[in-house]
Amino acid sequence: MKGTFAPAFLSIFTALGIAVDAAAQELPALQGAAPEEKARVLQLVEDAKKEGGLTYWDVVIQPETNDKLSAQFREYYGLPASFKVNYQLSSTANLVTRVEQEIGADRVTIDVAAIGSPTWVFGRVNKGDVLAYASPQYRHYASTFERGMGKDGFFAFNGAYLFVPMWDSERTTFNGKSWKDVFGAVPAGRMSIGDATKSVTYLDTYAGLRKVLDLEYFKKLAESKPPFLLRSEQIAGRLVSGEDLMAFTGMPTRAYQYNQKGAKLKFMLPEEGVVLLPQSMFILKKAPHPNAAKLWIDFMLSERGQEALVRGEALISGRAGFKSPLPEYAPSMDSLKIIKIDWESVSTAELQKMREEWTRVFNP
Amino acid sequence: MLLVVGPFLATVIRSLLYWDGDGAALSLQNFAALFSDPRFYQAVGNTALCGVGATIISCILGFSLAWVVSRTDMPGRRSFEILNLVPFFLSPYVGAISWIYLAAPNSGILQTFLAGTLGTSIQLPLIYSIGGVTWVLSLFYTPYVYLFVIAPMRQMDGALEDAARVHGASFWYTLRHITIPLLLPALLSSALVVFVTSAGLFDVPLAMAAPKGIRTMPTEIFSLVQYPSDLGRAASFGVVVMSVTVLLTLLQRRFLDRRRFETVTGKGYRPRPIVLRPLGRAAALGLEIVYIGSGVVLPVVALLMVSFSSIWTGQLRPATMTLRNYEYVAFGYRLTQQAILNSLYLALVGATLGVGLAVLQAYYLNRGNRKGRTIVDLILSLPLGIPGIILGLGFLILAIRTPLYSTLSIILIAYIARFFPFATRTVAAMLLAINPELEQSARASGASWLQTMRYVLVPLLLPAIIAAWLMLFVIFIRELGATILLYAQGTETISVVLVILSEHGSTYVAALAIIQLVMLLGAFLLFRATRASLVQA
Repeated sequence: MKGTFAPAFLSIFTALGIAVDAAAQELPALQGAAPEEKARVLQLVEDAKKEGGLTYWDVVIQPETNDKLSAQFREYYGLPASFKVNYQLSSTANLVTRVEQEIGADRVTIDVAAIGSPTWVFGRVNKGDVLAYASPQYRHYASTFERGMGKDGFFAFNGAYLFVPMWDSERTTFNGKSWKDVFGAVPAGRMSIGDATKSVTYLDTYAGLRKVLDLEYFKKLAESKPPFLLRSEQIAGRLVSGEDLMAFTGMPTRAYQYNQKGAKLKFMLPEEGVVLLPQSMFILKKAPHPNAAKLWIDFMLSERGQEALVRGEALISGRAGFKSPLPEYAPSMDSLKIIKIDWESVSTAELQKMREEWTRVFNP
Repeated sequence: MLLVVGPFLATVIRSLLYWDGDGAALSLQNFAALFSDPRFYQAVGNTALCGVGATIISCILGFSLAWVVSRTDMPGRRSFEILNLVPFFLSPYVGAISWIYLAAPNSGILQTFLAGTLGTSIQLPLIYSIGGVTWVLSLFYTPYVYLFVIAPMRQMDGALEDAARVHGASFWYTLRHITIPLLLPALLSSALVVFVTSAGLFDVPLAMAAPKGIRTMPTEIFSLVQYPSDLGRAASFGVVVMSVTVLLTLLQRRFLDRRRFETVTGKGYRPRPIVLRPLGRAAALGLEIVYIGSGVVLPVVALLMVSFSSIWTGQLRPATMTLRNYEYVAFGYRLTQQAILNSLYLALVGATLGVGLAVLQAYYLNRGNRKGRTIVDLILSLPLGIPGIILGLGFLILAIRTPLYSTLSIILIAYIARFFPFATRTVAAMLLAINPELEQSARASGASWLQTMRYVLVPLLLPAIIAAWLMLFVIFIRELGATILLYAQGTETISVVLVILSEHGSTYVAALAIIQLVMLLGAFLLFRATRASLVQA
């Protein structure tokens, strides 16, 4: 009996070994990975297949980019076509509300969320709502952790964006280099501004800019009677239609997307600095698909994920050594003068105070 | 009652909870903070202006349009009867977007046409203003009044007006002293609905008033629920609004209780169309053309122009024309198909259940125990006054720990709870016009209560029931306020997708709005065909 079983077991193990090795060779995710990492990823892939899908919410990624990311994600890990990547594009406010509701009710349906409000994400980490996960990709994001734009072992950002002066070069000629140059560049009432009473990302931007621009600057800005807008798409759209001639808080991502369709939007990176809003991406502690969620985080932060994300959304990558395919719209972080904000130490009360100040100045 | 009281209580309790360093405590602090904030009074004042303005204009327009199509011999009245309802199928949010495309001061299509093509220097009134909000709300809420009024107007015994005219009363005297007073229940009901709904609407002031820094109640509540949020103050704002609604409902009931409004009696009659003089005919046609032009033609033209452009530059350029937006929204975007199915399910099931409840409630309110009905009416009117976003929050608090969370059922329940009072008002206005003698005669002749309902009351109520069903169907297809907090993955509706797409591109929003309009018009035409056979049967 022994004599017959031994060769059979041997051949089974050999076949399994070949299969595992073949799978390892086929999966782009495993190329160049150490054996322990390969084993970890393969285990995650198997578990993710059992989970059958994942759900992620994001405030920037557009449907077309999601389609590309999802397809590449499946290919990267050899996931079947039946593996579902449920994605939801949401406003910042809605995402915050939804995540807080689900956590409060202990009914979590979202696996991964990405939002440009690190203060809020730090708050969730401190409350124990974020799954601790030391993604192997985090080693490429060490400098962003040092800058306080993430928390090692909990979250990094998949891409960052900013709000800066933007205009349609077919209607407006502007050669400014400073935030102060926007004064008088266009007639009163023709330069819009993001409404900080309704969006925390505009509020964060205001809080950051207050470090380099005094209150008088904003009072003077308020005198130009800016229209108060909520959506970055709307801000860019009004520039293209000619309703506004300049936007104080234009989003380069939108300039890229509109210019792809034939618009001529331009923006400046003011010499005083810019507020970088990192899209903090994290796994909820009670995520229903934690293994798939870990793979998603790994993929999004990988070189390949970053390439797809920057090409689709013109977001600024935080990955060390990453060469932006769109340097005009998404320059490297090192080339930017970033206004330092200690996101972790900003409290909700401070943000509320800042919102009060903004409201007093602009009186929207 | 449970459907209504649950979220109401949740809102009240939340308004009374105040969080400080030591945790939550029962306090009136949220109300104190609200009442000491001058922005609260600005928001209330602006909202009252928009609401009252929209209500007055909608009532005048709705009444006039219903009258010219149902009581006069105006040419083309059958076509106008349908066309008058089309603005109802465009959500006020889509209406606001299209009017911004039309009349934005620097890029509006009309402005460009006036300056570029006609070479005039005429400036249109500022669309980003209280006037602009009132204009759009009036256009898109007029069909509410129209739907409320047209059924009792059709049922009204023409002999009452004839008697006045025979005795020498002028046209205006008859209108003022006979027609309008007899239709007062329907008019007041619709006025209450229009005022409360338009004042609680969030998207239109966000699009048209917020850019100019004009505060309104819904946009202030929206700001308060944004992170870093102040839910206590938002809830106290909601409680104040609910209190005003209760007061208005009480006033309306008190006023109606003192009068009699039966216009349908046991006597046979045939409503005869009033023969208009040439000048009157021209005026009626002019009114229709202005209304249909402003509420249908111009907005639809603007949406079509934008939806066929890859980017909107303020005018339709051959270089930017494309079908891509339709292709993407209908076939390329996965959410759309799911959202259409969800919206249809919610609208069909919700409208049917809502009307069923409304008939029972209206019957109780008009024929039931006099002592209890005032309090029941008050409680069931509460959802009318709760802004959708607050009601959604209330339902969320109630449902989040139950299996209902993240399901279509919770959205369905919220829809019915919030909007079936609308249907109740439509049916009750008609019921008020039906003399109870008709039922009493049936009962005296040996008919049971069920037989009386089936053979006497329901057939007489059928026009109002159909109008109420249609109203709920359309409202449910367009609803956003409550849905935005209650939807989850897989339960998105068309309105939610419109919002999601607005983060993506205005040209996609225009394309989906046109698809939604075509869908609603299709449903309406189907409905009309069914209705004809229903009424015949």
